[in-house]
Amino acid sequence: MPKVENWHLNREMEYPYEDARPDNQWAGVFDLNKCIECQTCTLACKTTWTHGEGQEHMFWNNVETKPYGSHPVGWDGRLLNELGEAEWDEDGTYQGDTIFEAKGTDWENPENHPTNNFSSSADNLAGFMPGDNDWRYPNLGEDEPAGEEMTGDMHFDDDTHPIWFFYLPRICNHCTYAACAGSCPVQAIYKRQEDGIVLIDQENCQASTQCNEACPYKKAILNPKEGVSQKCVGCYPKIEEGKVPQCFENCLGKIRMHGYINHPDDADVGDPNEEIVNPIDFLVHEKGLAKPLYPQFGTEPNIYYIPPITAPVDYLTQMFGPGVEEAIETYQAARNGEEPEIQALLHLQGSTEWSLTGFKIEGDEAVGYYEGDEVGRVPIEEPQTDRKRYDEQEDVYRLDIT
Amino acid sequence: MSDSEGDDGVLPFSRREILGGAASTATSVGLGYLGYRRFSREDEGGGSSSDGGDEGDPLADVRNPLAEHPNRDWESLYRNHYEVDNKFMLTCTPNDTHNCYLQANVKNGEVTRLGPSMNYGEAEDLYGNQVSDRWDPRVCQKGLAMIERFYGERRVKQPMVRKGFKQWVEEGFPRDDDGSMPQEYANRGDDDWVEVDFDTAYDLAARTFAELAEHYSGESGMQSLLEQDYDERVVEETQGAGVRTMKFRGGMPLLGVTKLFGQYRNANSMALLDNHVRDVSEDEALGAVGLDNYSFHTDLPPGHTMVTGQQTVDFDLINADYADHIVLAGLNWICTKMADSHWLTEARLKGSKITGIYTDYNATSTKCDEFINVRPATDGALFLGAAREVIDRELYDEEYVQKHTDLPLLVRVDDKKFLRASDLFENYEHEDLAKTDTVESDEQRPGADVTDLDTQIITEEHRREWGDFVVRNDETGEFEAISRDDVGDDFDVTATLEGSFEVELASGETVEVRPVFDLIKEHLDETWDPESTAEVTGSDPQSVVNLAEDIAANKQETLILTGMGPNHHANSDNKDRAIFLLASLTRNVGYQSGNVGSYSGNYRAALFNGLPQYIQENPFNIELDPESHVDVDRRYDMQSAHFYTNLDKPLKVDGEYFQGDSHMHTPTKSIWVSGSNSILGNAKGAYKIIEKALREGKIEAFFCNEWWWTMTCEYSDIVFPVDSWAENHVHDITASPTNPFVNVMPETELDSRIYNTRNDTQHYKGVAQKLAEITGDSRFEDYWAFIDEDEYRAKPYIQRIIDNSNSVKGYDIEDLLEKAREGTPGMTMTQTYPKHIGNEQTQDDRPWYTKTGRLEFFREEQEFAEAGENLPLHREPMDATPYEPNVLVDNSDSPVIDPDTPEDRGWDSDAVARDTSDRQVRNVVYSPSELTDTTHPLMDVEDGYDYIYMTPKYRHGAHTFANALPNIAVWWGNYGDMDPEDDRKPYIGEGYIEMNPQDARDEGFEDGDYVWVDADPSDRPYPGAEKDDEDHYTRAMMRVRHQPSIPRGVTRSWMNLNQTSHTTYEAQQDDDSEWAKNDRTGYVSLYRQGGHQSMTTTWLRRTWLTDTMPRKDQFGQNLDEGFEADVHAANGAPKESFVKIEKAEDGAADGEGRWRPDDHFSDVLSMRPGYENDAMLRYIDGGYINTRGD
Repeated sequence: MPKVENWHLNREMEYPYEDARPDNQWAGVFDLNKCIECQTCTLACKTTWTHGEGQEHMFWNNVETKPYGSHPVGWDGRLLNELGEAEWDEDGTYQGDTIFEAKGTDWENPENHPTNNFSSSADNLAGFMPGDNDWRYPNLGEDEPAGEEMTGDMHFDDDTHPIWFFYLPRICNHCTYAACAGSCPVQAIYKRQEDGIVLIDQENCQASTQCNEACPYKKAILNPKEGVSQKCVGCYPKIEEGKVPQCFENCLGKIRMHGYINHPDDADVGDPNEEIVNPIDFLVHEKGLAKPLYPQFGTEPNIYYIPPITAPVDYLTQMFGPGVEEAIETYQAARNGEEPEIQALLHLQGSTEWSLTGFKIEGDEAVGYYEGDEVGRVPIEEPQTDRKRYDEQEDVYRLDIT
Repeated sequence: MSDSEGDDGVLPFSRREILGGAASTATSVGLGYLGYRRFSREDEGGGSSSDGGDEGDPLADVRNPLAEHPNRDWESLYRNHYEVDNKFMLTCTPNDTHNCYLQANVKNGEVTRLGPSMNYGEAEDLYGNQVSDRWDPRVCQKGLAMIERFYGERRVKQPMVRKGFKQWVEEGFPRDDDGSMPQEYANRGDDDWVEVDFDTAYDLAARTFAELAEHYSGESGMQSLLEQDYDERVVEETQGAGVRTMKFRGGMPLLGVTKLFGQYRNANSMALLDNHVRDVSEDEALGAVGLDNYSFHTDLPPGHTMVTGQQTVDFDLINADYADHIVLAGLNWICTKMADSHWLTEARLKGSKITGIYTDYNATSTKCDEFINVRPATDGALFLGAAREVIDRELYDEEYVQKHTDLPLLVRVDDKKFLRASDLFENYEHEDLAKTDTVESDEQRPGADVTDLDTQIITEEHRREWGDFVVRNDETGEFEAISRDDVGDDFDVTATLEGSFEVELASGETVEVRPVFDLIKEHLDETWDPESTAEVTGSDPQSVVNLAEDIAANKQETLILTGMGPNHHANSDNKDRAIFLLASLTRNVGYQSGNVGSYSGNYRAALFNGLPQYIQENPFNIELDPESHVDVDRRYDMQSAHFYTNLDKPLKVDGEYFQGDSHMHTPTKSIWVSGSNSILGNAKGAYKIIEKALREGKIEAFFCNEWWWTMTCEYSDIVFPVDSWAENHVHDITASPTNPFVNVMPETELDSRIYNTRNDTQHYKGVAQKLAEITGDSRFEDYWAFIDEDEYRAKPYIQRIIDNSNSVKGYDIEDLLEKAREGTPGMTMTQTYPKHIGNEQTQDDRPWYTKTGRLEFFREEQEFAEAGENLPLHREPMDATPYEPNVLVDNSDSPVIDPDTPEDRGWDSDAVARDTSDRQVRNVVYSPSELTDTTHPLMDVEDGYDYIYMTPKYRHGAHTFANALPNIAVWWGNYGDMDPEDDRKPYIGEGYIEMNPQDARDEGFEDGDYVWVDADPSDRPYPGAEKDDEDHYTRAMMRVRHQPSIPRGVTRSWMNLNQTSHTTYEAQQDDDSEWAKNDRTGYVSLYRQGGHQSMTTTWLRRTWLTDTMPRKDQFGQNLDEGFEADVHAANGAPKESFVKIEKAEDGAADGEGRWRPDDHFSDVLSMRPGYENDAMLRYIDGGYINTRGD
């Protein structure tokens, strides 16, 4: 019975509850080629939501350097190590175990049901509870590269850099099969049907911290002062108004686009030169450019990443699943002018505080829509102006060097 | 937000600790294991408790949390949390050039959070030109964190006076026999602070100014200065006016014209004091001294002035949108130009090739298509190598070279000067210039604030001296005279570029002449082949070839941007002369998509060339009609602050001054700065100033305006409390060299001030009122008539500036303010949008601001000839090199590379090289291979001096702005920890030195150990410091980080962190003190001892200090020669140091063993570079996934 369909894995998988996709699924695309690790997203979130006592260590949004950075320390490497080597078929089917499968848990046995598990979610799920020290050093490994040894005469023009690192901004993925919701013994965590946002009910959380342990992304975090776990709320007070979350609006690298993703079977795609299409579906489903973070964990996360074109494909595939190589080729094609629609959309991204449910290309401009209303319009190349050298009315020369 | 800087730091938790107590009792009262209560259907509506855990069918009441949740009412919690009462716009203006309008969200009377205005896309100029929404958002993490500053305990909350200083004033300024301040009153740094009211603070300051002006005036004043051992030429420079020992500075004053440039107005007003004290006539009365900024910060690229005659060439960073090729030479764009980073990444997305020239694989390298590593401060050599390649393979653009550069002009080999038409042609009469106006004398020059003028202005004397020039017509073989008018399309000769010619002068003498091109080609050909270039730069020879080919293939399509990296070395001018050479050869100067730019500091104050209306208003003829413009009369003198940091010593070696008269400075007896931690707390050689000038009483008064207690405040005498950027009651205006906006600063909408603070200008006015009382001259007060909080709010001053500035004339302050309240700036109306320097030269055939009107690569002035630098060439760094420092590199027999050598002067060459002062004027020429056979003189002094030490800027600070805010500090690399387990840690974040891991291992340093970092002990941390003193607060101790991005021999500390002061060192030694913090002031250090400036000092060079080099004034269209603050001045070199690193302590929290953040699960992952276990190596290799079936 609790078998759900996870399209990231191209197969069904185990999960403690029945499939119940929301009416709309809150989603984002992050272009890692544009991320600058400024932590403005982090501060936007921090100053809005987690500036109280008991939240000092709490960053619902963080940006870490890969591969040496991770917050909490070792969150992904430890889990990958626990899951061991896993295989993706050539057709994109994941043959390894998800976190729900790795322990061989029989989810049909009521004894294993999360509501009957008051000890540790790690009894049934792959995962671990971050220790006290793991919340220290949130920027450990910042700007530290892997790859070849650095030498004084280092010189390269390869597409994949022989020495490399990249930045990974992370928030709650508002997973379709959220491990936090799937582990809470008191059912205080739920997914909103109207937008797919996953919330911890602050009135009913009892700080069992199963979610802290179960979330493979370690984005549910205990507030020891309040005695509740807390996590990214997807900025639902803004979402309800059609506006993007704080970490999206404040993203000055303009790497983030907020919208709603459809199941691939229901993808709203088409030719944006002709019609308004869903920008998230366009990048994820139509172009295969944006990929989920560690799809093998099995939660069907809803932030999609455009992989960095300079990092090695093996590492990126471990992180974003199959299709990374093709995504990089598509990005390079966009650079070569062969994908003008992608260029246009990635210029529109971040230029408006509205969520984008649609976009269209009109001549040299990319136009964004929220539920049918135009909410953004940008030129793909900024128009230039030559002012008249002498302004008679003001009796002034308009000079460059003054 | 944590309001106490970590007093209630993080308590990382464990479930067992929190719930352990409950577990023991839970089952006994019938609750589930551990006492949890399941929230179930019976609870719908948030009702009463139910124990569903252990009775009946355990899943009977289980719902699907993916599908439903019974209690949604709680969601109002976060909606209420998000809601605010009011919003208003403020302007965030650290020195990063972005000037973001931020929306302040107010709840219960407090700013709860900040955000971007999202209205930049509405910006429009007077002509209806509008920018796009691609400009939004403009914000960064430092700006958002600023709410921690508004309310933080480190706010300067009321006027503060140092106890010893207060006593000195109140005891009537007692003085030692030599007339100086007794040391007992100069106990700066560990003296007590006294809170006073505004009136008292203003009175103390005013009395001090009056006394200093009096004491140091006249013969007795000068005699007193001589007795205090100031150099006689330096004393002479005071002209016997005590006010000339009083120095004023607003920190990067474009950032707030009324607030910060107000310090120069302040300096101008001191002519009233001089008039009072010396009883000189009003016309003769001198103002005080203003100190420079852009050049003091080493932001100025001095080579730009040498090539173009004006301050800097650059362009709005949005120009990246148009270029096919972008070369980043030491500009860590994504860290230091954050708000404009997307222009780079979007250009890349549109296909621009990004080439990064760096000294490590840094953040921006990750965005590059080609990466070239060079040895620090050898960028210039790389560009010379590329220029050689372009010339050698004839890839250059001859038309551009002919029309826009001096390369075709002939140079006399005998005297190393341009051949003048008057030398050659008998009875030659200079051409009448159409593009340049001449005036009979300086008095007849137009003001800088004249907007209906578009010609350059020179004096008749300069016209005669500069003369006209000569080229050889390559078609006819005839020599032809050309003037500075004959540029661009107004020059249609095909001039000879190569060859040597004998010409008979009008005098009958025969001399050899050669085109500049030919001279440069000779030097390049014989010195900078790719292999030799690679030898000097430490790079790959292929990188030289690639760079040349890429730039030549992208003529008018290559933007070359330099940052502070290479500019912070003493050869910064050589670097830019080389870059301009390569760019000029390839038609990449002056175009929207082909240009050169230097990026550091928010400096282009000339965007407001009407500034003299404010800063130079005649204090004896004050205009009190707010609608009228003023009588401009500059009374203050500008000086380089580098001489204050050099303890007021001139560049004088072996009795000779190597510093032009126009650069001469005066003794520094008082300083008043606003918003300027760079002047002391984060200055090059900070500890030298503190120990040798401030604590010895040489500087007698140091006043500081701040809203956040900096290290500069720690060592000040009076700290005036300033309104935060959320509390503007007086308006202000700013603009930027990197974006097209003009930002006026709207008034606060907070109901009341957070602390007892005032605007900077109100402090100037407050002191002026006291000076009016002391002197009986009410003009002191009248000078600030439009500073108030109701009627004027400085608006008349701002409107006067606007009305007299070319780029903003036509705007009305009220209209700009109305838009600013919505977060929409105005646009600066330069000739183009986006703006870019050089457009007028390439498009309108206007001359550059040089003698020849062309981009000049030959510098004929005597100072350059003496230094061997007539041509662009490479000089080794002054200290940051493993080779002999400051030597010239040339392998040709060029007749114009002929410096005054130590032998010429009879100096002991090795001794001069070893002496860090004498070294500055030492000229020795080596070939590339000779150079790499030499060693740094420190290597002969002691083992261990092996490392170049770099102090670049980073993403988590704009200078020291924001570095110690908890939610910024915690992101400072590896050691950020909200609740440190290691008691030695000075703060949440911590300074560190980064080393190549192999270097570190060879030295025996584990990752995270504490180490000592020592530069040349002869002058650092300060002259006379006891060597290897482990107990002195000035000696740098920091963590060492194994950093695989750095090549061997190079080390790095970020320059943005607060350094150790007396009080933070004391706190560090105190076991009971959690932080390295001054509990009295809130100042906190992010180092245990010393800091990154312990290893730096002031460096000077002959060619920065000429009296003869032509250049445009900072403002307006006047050309003159010699010193001009922020244009042609001492430039310093904060990345010049060569260091020894020694182990101090183990890094582990308990002081024994390695610092191991992954300690407790090292059986799973050992994550630090160089310490990886198999699991980590497998993770890095992507070994946990298999997609190939193998």
